[in-house]
Amino acid sequence: MTMTTNTPQECSEFQQQLPDFFDSGGDRIEHPHLNTCANCSALVRDLNYIATQAKLLMPIHDPSPAVWENISHALGKEPTARRASEDDGAP
Amino acid sequence: MRTTDASPASGPAQPLAAEARPIQQQQRRNPPIAGELNAIALAQAGDGASFEILYNMHKRRVYSLCLRMLGNVAEAEDLTQEAFLQLHRKIGTFRGDSAFSTWLHRMAVNVVLMHLRKKGLPLVSLEETLEPTQEDGPRKDFGTRDLTLSGSIDRVTLERAVQELPPGYRMVFVLHDVEGYEHNEIAGMLGCSIGNSKSQLHKARMRLRSLLRESADGRADA
Repeated sequence: MTMTTNTPQECSEFQQQLPDFFDSGGDRIEHPHLNTCANCSALVRDLNYIATQAKLLMPIHDPSPAVWENISHALGKEPTARRASEDDGAP
Repeated sequence: MRTTDASPASGPAQPLAAEARPIQQQQRRNPPIAGELNAIALAQAGDGASFEILYNMHKRRVYSLCLRMLGNVAEAEDLTQEAFLQLHRKIGTFRGDSAFSTWLHRMAVNVVLMHLRKKGLPLVSLEETLEPTQEDGPRKDFGTRDLTLSGSIDRVTLERAVQELPPGYRMVFVLHDVEGYEHNEIAGMLGCSIGNSKSQLHKARMRLRSLLRESADGRADA
């Protein structure tokens, strides 16, 4: 199979539908246009790759100790969790 | 103290329940933590030390979520504090129908969204939605030296590129691709259509592709 560069109109029509293709097809988009268009194939691979890498982003930052100090200080002025839930009408 | 009500059950735009998300997806994003159930039960009974344990278990994830959505350390810390104060007020209502972390993270998302609404910032930018942008036209990558990004992105580069996204794009990208929310949930949270959420996500990924390719080209030139 030979990969060619299709007309801008064909690419435009394909790319306009890409959000729906990604939503319904996940990371396995199958479309005849991809069999013949190297640029759109590369685009789909890149967008899949970005989505995959994003899922691997881990929480890496810790808040400063001042955040807990502020929470702890504020909680000294708040009702207990049990009383708050009673106030909300929870059993 | 602020009184933002951003609990999962009582946010301004009622999102779908976290329980509606597939259990496997919730488990992947929010795996159970050893000792968490015991700490929740004790914190619900008013034990401050157990609440601190819960804070230490979840502070990094909640803070990172706030930081990615806001792109500002001071605001992220402020809203992390607000999210945990909300948690303290609402923990008695947690029934265990979903993972605790799923419940808490939804609370944190709602705190951030409420904060942005109070600042008068549109959660989905009208400009980004209506004006044709570079991302709208067909891509013509003729003559580029390397056709795909695959294998060329490291975490730091991606994090940096995400922070360069316009706020509306960044919001949807973080919620969908990083946090794992579905478009119907995002539409409910942001008060936009599902189609709008899909469109914003697509444009965010397209913008990221441009940013990451520029970064990769810069490294190749160096």
